[in-house]
Amino acid sequence: MSPLLLQGVASGIVTGCVYALIALSLVIVYKSSDVINFAGGEMVMLGGYLGMFALLWLGLPYILIFPFAALVIFVIGALFDRVVLTRVVGRAVPGQSILVAMIIGTVGLSYVLKGAVRVIPYTEEVRRLPPFSSGAPIFIGPVVLQHQDIAIVVAAVAIMAALWAFFSFTLIGKALRATSQNPRAAALVGIPVRLMSMTAWGLAAALAGVAGILLAPKLLITPDMGVIVILALAAAIIGGFVSLPGCVAGGIVLGVVQNLIGLYVSSRAISLAPFLVIMIVLLLRPQGLFAGKAVAKKV
Amino acid sequence: MYGAPPLSRLALLAPLLIAGFVLPLLLPQYFLYLGNFLMMFAVLALGLDLLLGWAGQFAFAHIAFFGIGTYATALLQIRLGVPFVIGMPLAALLAGLIGLAIGFPATRLRTVYLALATFAFAEAAQWVFNAWDKVTGGPDGLRIAAPSIFGYRVGTDPTAFPVLAIILALMIVATMYLTTSKLGRAMCAIRESEHVASASGIDVRATKAWAFAISAMYAGVAGGMYTLFQSFVNPDTFGFGQIVLLLSMIVVGGLGSIPGALIGVALLGLLPEVMRTTMRGLLIWQELVYGLILIGAVMFMPRGIWGFIAGRRGSR
Amino acid sequence: MLIRTTLFAAALAAVLSAPARAADPGITDSEITIGLFAPMSGPLAAFGLDALQAAKMWYEETNKKGGIHGRKIKVIVEDDKCVPNEAVAVVKKFITVDKTFIVHGGSCTPAAVAAQEFVTREKVPHVMLNASGDGAVIPPTRYVFGAFAGTQRTVGASLAEFAVKELKGKRVAIIAHDDDFGVANSTTFKAVATALGAQVVAAELISPRVTDVTAPLLTIRASNPDVIVSTAYPAPAVLIGQKYGEFAMMKTPLVQAIQGIPVPSVYAKNVGNDAALANFYYGSPLNDLTEGPKQQKWLALYKQYYPDRQPSGFMTYGLPSAMAVTRALEKAGKNVTRENFIDAMETLNFESEVIAGPTAFAKDRRDGARSSIFVKFDGKTHTLMPGVYTWDGKAGM
Repeated sequence: MSPLLLQGVASGIVTGCVYALIALSLVIVYKSSDVINFAGGEMVMLGGYLGMFALLWLGLPYILIFPFAALVIFVIGALFDRVVLTRVVGRAVPGQSILVAMIIGTVGLSYVLKGAVRVIPYTEEVRRLPPFSSGAPIFIGPVVLQHQDIAIVVAAVAIMAALWAFFSFTLIGKALRATSQNPRAAALVGIPVRLMSMTAWGLAAALAGVAGILLAPKLLITPDMGVIVILALAAAIIGGFVSLPGCVAGGIVLGVVQNLIGLYVSSRAISLAPFLVIMIVLLLRPQGLFAGKAVAKKV
Repeated sequence: MYGAPPLSRLALLAPLLIAGFVLPLLLPQYFLYLGNFLMMFAVLALGLDLLLGWAGQFAFAHIAFFGIGTYATALLQIRLGVPFVIGMPLAALLAGLIGLAIGFPATRLRTVYLALATFAFAEAAQWVFNAWDKVTGGPDGLRIAAPSIFGYRVGTDPTAFPVLAIILALMIVATMYLTTSKLGRAMCAIRESEHVASASGIDVRATKAWAFAISAMYAGVAGGMYTLFQSFVNPDTFGFGQIVLLLSMIVVGGLGSIPGALIGVALLGLLPEVMRTTMRGLLIWQELVYGLILIGAVMFMPRGIWGFIAGRRGSR
Repeated sequence: MLIRTTLFAAALAAVLSAPARAADPGITDSEITIGLFAPMSGPLAAFGLDALQAAKMWYEETNKKGGIHGRKIKVIVEDDKCVPNEAVAVVKKFITVDKTFIVHGGSCTPAAVAAQEFVTREKVPHVMLNASGDGAVIPPTRYVFGAFAGTQRTVGASLAEFAVKELKGKRVAIIAHDDDFGVANSTTFKAVATALGAQVVAAELISPRVTDVTAPLLTIRASNPDVIVSTAYPAPAVLIGQKYGEFAMMKTPLVQAIQGIPVPSVYAKNVGNDAALANFYYGSPLNDLTEGPKQQKWLALYKQYYPDRQPSGFMTYGLPSAMAVTRALEKAGKNVTRENFIDAMETLNFESEVIAGPTAFAKDRRDGARSSIFVKFDGKTHTLMPGVYTWDGKAGM
């Protein structure tokens, strides 16, 4: 492989891990409440800003800004589910899809978060969180990577592993999965379904927030950075939209494909890539590139 | 309810037509401009409501068809000299055909997947409007020449206003007929339950595809309306924010009802103007307030405003 | 008898002054109403808010000095969010409801272009605020004036001239956005660089929402340029600066246009690697560094008017347009009409003490400014490069 190609692939993997982290958040929400969280990007943005404010204004040590931001955004996510979505679902009109109302709710949340951040004059300029780890670039053969790039990849893998362990071994994790697969049966065996839904939303939101802190040194933060959710959606769809490992693979595929298109087609076509990917995958393989069988429909 | 809508309901359109001819004599152009905008959005909303409110298909592609209609009408006129009265139906037809082409494969997808596929289509369409600069003018935008209809020159707010009122009235009538027709009933049946619908002999896929195509034609017509009172179009006009606005309009107004769509358009369409004039000194908070309004609407009015009004009337 | 004479005189005065008044709304013997707009909310507020407040400040200063020909300037402010359809609504409100004498505003080109047809039809002068306005001033039309900090063609042309003449570029590369700015930038850049005998070896167009610039930068590196210029916006500009540093391309100079580096110190902090700025330059339409001595008096005045507000780098950009308006009103005389206001605008040629070159218009020229300066910046110190680079008004058309 040419050095050009190798660099494009390496860089694509790093960016792809960022997409994957956000995609994980979207998929957790989807599995819990059957809705696309269009505020997912704004949760990422909020995470970046909270981390930055905690570091620069509150003077927290770097390692503590992760739990700080995660906690705040966990609460926002859980409250949104409890206060807004529960009400929307509870008042559903028979025969009419509540999906639209729920999606508009999340879009409303995205405007609220963006609007709340924008009133702070500090956010008028593009900002960058100092990197979690810095130092001279690392050379792997002809490929050059930054410390933060490695940190992102490591963190993405670690979070993946932690999520897998959480869903496989902990009681709450198992309860979340049960609720996602069949809420009625879960309620029958005594799982507090409403609490589970709040937990899922909080968890997803916190995950997005942590992703925000990780990518803020790399991609910079502005109140409008939430559009990155589009790339995360594409990553999730490549992965089948219900599979957590699929998301990670999907993110990486997307990151690499974007760079290959940029290198061998044109830079202008990079921004078209996620949309083409979404359409092609949904039309040809709606179950995602990595899943063997069709997606089971929930009843 | 089968067949034609009652004459008494058609008579309700008289005020619209009268206003269409009288208001241009009374109001400053600013208000006529807002009125034109609302009438165009009303057609867009009626079309989206057919697909979403009546057929229950959640698609994001509407704004792309609107763009196709706008560019097609404008370009047919600028490049080929096709007059508006032919250009707009052609543009609507083109939007409808592309809608059909999208509709058939898209009917295999349900709920979130359909939403995402059509969302991607809309974004890709916007990318094409931007990148195909030889035709669309690309990011510099396209200047629209003032069209004329049988020698009547349009292109300003007062001259376009009656024309838009007539088109809106026709589209409302078409919607009334459509929703009480066999196809309209089939669409409702699919919305309620696809299994029951297909068990009662409805061709689910064909009905969905028709709903897509017809809805896209409405958007194409709205695109033509755009060229009647606007002089400029650029790809930003067809962004994600617009489809969110449109969806919010029909949800806030009340899904699956003509008055609901119209109420939603009027309220949310005027909201930016209202916020701008009432929030002096607090302009920066507009975004936050808009978000709260959206959340509040879906929380407190699950059937939309029209559903709320109709519900109260019904309970009396 | 006396009463009758007075009445007659009053009637006569009314008749004599009526035609001018009836023709042009928004002006009385004591007041001129100006409709002022810019994005004051939304993503582009930082670009317009301070410029608008600076223009307002200039009008208030003018009023303090007694106004113009005995008339005070009354300003009505609106927010267009840089959305073309909202700009059209605002302009229509100014002209048909508020009945302003002229319209002054616009920080974004599409908004100005969208309003152009209407102001032309209504014959109302529209003086843009700080929009570069390529599409609205080229080709020139009677009622629309703009580009008070230069068009995007000026940006592209001056970058090319600087890259070829000052940095001795033979093989030059440009990275720009795929929007109206970027297309104007890259077209003019290519035209001017080629005319000056250099070869454009790469021209990459990227989305303003780009998240990874590896591919375009690798393409540029592979084309082996000796100067790289970028006209990207702030966030992508930083991504470009970072990758350029990561790939250790510092022996090739990087020149960034002003739109990506509104506050250079923030840019340097965001790139986070001063080594990447070893061979870095940025262009600016101002007559000095953003906080340089020649800009200080404006910054001080702004502080006085808006003590709580830390202005963005684009604040002073709002001044030249307001200066042009007051000068033209002055020049048009006591009996100013919209038409002779335009005639006066067309003869303007003045030093604003804000931007690099003169602010000038002519019968066939509607873009006010055409000059740029360049600054070498290593992350800490700014060094003004010699010379002012000026677009000839032809390249890239």
